[in-house]
Amino acid sequence: MSLNVAVRKPSALPGAPERAPRRRLEPVTDTPVRRKPKLAYALAALAGAMIIGAVQIGLSLAITQDSFVLAGLSAQQHELDLHASALQEDLTGTSSPQSLATSAASLGMVVAGAPSYLRLSDGAVFGQGTGATGSSTIDPNGAGAVSNSLLNDVPVNASTADDAVPEGTTGHPAQELPPAITDGLPSPSTR
Amino acid sequence: MTTRATRTPRRRTVVALAVILAILAAFVVRLVDIQVVKADEHVAQSLEFIAHRTSIPGERGSVVDSDGSVLAESVLVYDAQLSPQVIRLLEEDDKNPPKLPWAEASTRIAEIMGLDADELRAEVAAKLAEDPDSQYLPLVKGLSTEKYIELRELKVSSYLVMKPREVRVYPNGAVAGNLLGYLDGTGTAQAGVEKMDEKCLAPTDGEESYRTGKNNVVIPGSESRVDAVDGGTVQLTINSDLQWYMQQMIAEEAQAQGAKGGTVTVVEVGTGKIRAAAEWPTMDPNDLDASSPETWTSKLFTYPFEPGSTFKAVTAAAVMENAGVTMTSPTVSASSHEKFENGAVINDAFVHPTFQYTLAGALIDSSNVALSKFGTMVSPDIRHDYLERFGVGETTVGFPSETSGEIHPTSEWDNQSLYTTTFGQYFTVTAPQLAGAYQAIANGGQKIGLSLVESCTAPDGTVVTPQAPEPEQIVKPETAADLTRMLENVAVQGGNADRIQVPGYRVTSKTGTAQIPDGKGGYKSGVYYTSMVGFAPVDDPQYVVVVTLDEPTRVTSSAATASAFQKAMTQTMKTYRVMPSSSPMDALLPKFE
Repeated sequence: MSLNVAVRKPSALPGAPERAPRRRLEPVTDTPVRRKPKLAYALAALAGAMIIGAVQIGLSLAITQDSFVLAGLSAQQHELDLHASALQEDLTGTSSPQSLATSAASLGMVVAGAPSYLRLSDGAVFGQGTGATGSSTIDPNGAGAVSNSLLNDVPVNASTADDAVPEGTTGHPAQELPPAITDGLPSPSTR
Repeated sequence: MTTRATRTPRRRTVVALAVILAILAAFVVRLVDIQVVKADEHVAQSLEFIAHRTSIPGERGSVVDSDGSVLAESVLVYDAQLSPQVIRLLEEDDKNPPKLPWAEASTRIAEIMGLDADELRAEVAAKLAEDPDSQYLPLVKGLSTEKYIELRELKVSSYLVMKPREVRVYPNGAVAGNLLGYLDGTGTAQAGVEKMDEKCLAPTDGEESYRTGKNNVVIPGSESRVDAVDGGTVQLTINSDLQWYMQQMIAEEAQAQGAKGGTVTVVEVGTGKIRAAAEWPTMDPNDLDASSPETWTSKLFTYPFEPGSTFKAVTAAAVMENAGVTMTSPTVSASSHEKFENGAVINDAFVHPTFQYTLAGALIDSSNVALSKFGTMVSPDIRHDYLERFGVGETTVGFPSETSGEIHPTSEWDNQSLYTTTFGQYFTVTAPQLAGAYQAIANGGQKIGLSLVESCTAPDGTVVTPQAPEPEQIVKPETAADLTRMLENVAVQGGNADRIQVPGYRVTSKTGTAQIPDGKGGYKSGVYYTSMVGFAPVDDPQYVVVVTLDEPTRVTSSAATASAFQKAMTQTMKTYRVMPSSSPMDALLPKFE
């Protein structure tokens, strides 16, 4: 079944005027010789395309490279965060007032009574001006000790620190001390 | 021009077109139904098969003190477990033996975890004997990050799985433990600041969603991630060093006095900030089981007591402003035991002859009889109003289960309570409420609402400070000045004068002794809830200190608190570098006429 049923009938044009246009005669000229396209242009275009391509490859390589670097750095950061929190955990509890107080107490330090203040400009003393007695108002190791379960497995008393001190001093820093001044201040000898 | 010949094909065409259009229309209708009308339903259906979501947990915020020292924080610990099946498979693989054979790996693992290597190997062997495909053998729970790193270095993650878990750590242990509260096993705050500031501390979990195709391969570009928002940081007004000292000191003092408990509250006069809120017995939120459940909340904020003589100052304020009473006139005659016209009987704490008490003298000797006579110079309604102005019946900082104390309307006052309300009975307060009342006296009559929380800092750095109520001038500055002078006279001329001296500083103080209900409608005999409140230095009041002792037995009266008060005040002055008093005290006020 064809749908091309509507047949288009040619329209009958009314007769055109038969007046023919005047003809002009011109001498035939040489057809211009097609010039060969310059090689330079082609090369330039090609080179341009190649440069664009190369730059694109370079950029995408750089981006890929950067994403590797980024991944590396984030992994590194994660690692460092992990180490930081491990170190932080070591400090947890040791940073508490209880730990400081017990260490200070075992070094013989006391919490003294009322303070006095000295004004530097004129030497005026504010407060009672009496010295501290040897007794402490509290005893951090006594019956009232404020508990901290985080300290149970960490040695806090300074006795361990005491033991460590002699080892440290007999070790390396001996030479780093300035020379002992027994014969007055050293002075350059002239002449 | 239509002819019979052309008509038939055209009709055929029209029919064909109509049929095609009808079919097309049917498809369009169905398409719209699927793509537009029921689109959401179908998308949801499809996602059931291909979409996956995982929750990204956020970290709960920290609680820090006024200097920024961490009081509560969340850290990750690791729960280790083994897969015996994988161990077996690796060991049986002769062609490609594991780099670290199990015999050696088990020794290292046991060493790091603090286990016995032989036992560990035996356990794995037993598990495999039971079920060769066993994939789960729980090991140590709660490994520290340090151990996690060490174990990870062994590179045996194929069978040693370490699952991270968030736990709450309180670096300062029991320091401010009662204030901080604790979380239960599910991580829900149960008490204290943890509960009070849940909104600030709670994190918002993030979510990672992606879609998978066949074989659970993630469809590229379908991944979306909403990062978790960590909880905010709550900064308290508490100074953890001062808090530690107060806890240590009150624990020693309470035990020395044979008391059941004790508290110390330190409030900054100019701001109403609570700098220390110590109590004994206390709890270490790191190790709840080590303390008894009664200590798991703050008794300071939840235990109301009849304040007793400390509220004589409020009665004094009411009569000075409303009955023209001054520090030295008029006087009232008072003996140590008097029966009033309405039948009420009032006793003083010590036996004395009849004196003509000045108001100052009544406070210095803490005479209940004299105060009853001064107090009834104004109507009960006025006194009720003054008690409310000084904060009785109103909570202070909105601490979880904080009590507002109890104040009865004047219509319920009977013959006895008409008088006892003049010296701090028949109503109850908490220690912070008592500190708040004295803050107003120390601050020239201007009451500033107490605060425990400084601010909440969101992870993005925005700082939210809690809305503070407007300061309120509750008594005239002159009244406050007179009260301060009388309270200094109490400290200097009262019975505890020698025991509460803070060298270099002029202090005020007032004792209070409250009877303790025995739960049967009466009072316990011979034991009291004693308190002492005061502020210093008098010439420029900076800090209010309240000390309470629950049932001291060595000395049962309020004198038991003197030593603790002296130490608390001294340490507070020292901690905040308060300059010693520079002006001498005014002339002593006369007690009698």
